[in-house]
Amino acid sequence: MNHSEQLNLINDAINKTKEQLKPTSVNFIFWGILITLMSLIHYLFPEFIQKTTYSSLIFWTIIPVIGMVLTIVYNIKTGIRMGYETHIGRALKLVWSVFNVAWIVLIIMAFFKKQNPVQDILFLLGVILLISALLIRFKPLIIGGICVIACSVLITLSPHINTLLINAIAAFVGLFVPGLSLYLSKKHV
Amino acid sequence: MFEPLDKLLTNPIRLMVMSVLVKVSGCDFNYLKKITNSTQGNLSIQLKKLAENEYISITKSFENNYPKTKCNITKKGILAFENHFKNLKKYQNLDL
Repeated sequence: MNHSEQLNLINDAINKTKEQLKPTSVNFIFWGILITLMSLIHYLFPEFIQKTTYSSLIFWTIIPVIGMVLTIVYNIKTGIRMGYETHIGRALKLVWSVFNVAWIVLIIMAFFKKQNPVQDILFLLGVILLISALLIRFKPLIIGGICVIACSVLITLSPHINTLLINAIAAFVGLFVPGLSLYLSKKHV
Repeated sequence: MFEPLDKLLTNPIRLMVMSVLVKVSGCDFNYLKKITNSTQGNLSIQLKKLAENEYISITKSFENNYPKTKCNITKKGILAFENHFKNLKKYQNLDL
């Protein structure tokens, strides 16, 4: 092989091993739909969700934990199917794993402090979305992350605002919309 | 200064393997087999040569009762690949 052929071969191998972000976008879409629906169900049927002292806590813990298990299984299967893990993919995996742990810690802390954890979770989510967006260089996700942080600030500044509606809006704008645009984006497929 | 090319990386299969591994944090044997379009035996030999020279590390495990081979590039491997790439560029400029 001459020098140009070797360089072409390197180029081909690197280009074939693409950053595949379609599976990542499925996670955003899934969580966007799930959190938006959960917030709206809680908002529309508070008497059902808040029937007992712990029912809303169970509602907001059990369903997301099931969601977490489903997304972990989905991501493991996708990783096996792809056969490789890129550096960005690994960084995203670590960042979202930290978010999962932090989310559980925030829920437990809020339970003991008898506080609504929504603003803290939204702030954390916004920061993690921004980190993810900067890693994959995807503008709609940057906007989504900023919107989620703005929602968290809004809850802090307006204590009487309905946190469930804000949560639904944040999940829709911060997760579902960027997830869908990433899914439909041809650049990252 | 023109340095001689790394003989270990002039083999197309080994060069392809290193090019893939430099981009990913981990890669399994089947993907490397697919991308290099080589046979299982040939790829195993080339991977063994790279591992013997500490350019890559090979981890063997079992997944659902099937053996699984995962490859990662080492720091020495990254350095060797970078040097090889730089030298290729120099030689290419000379060719032009």
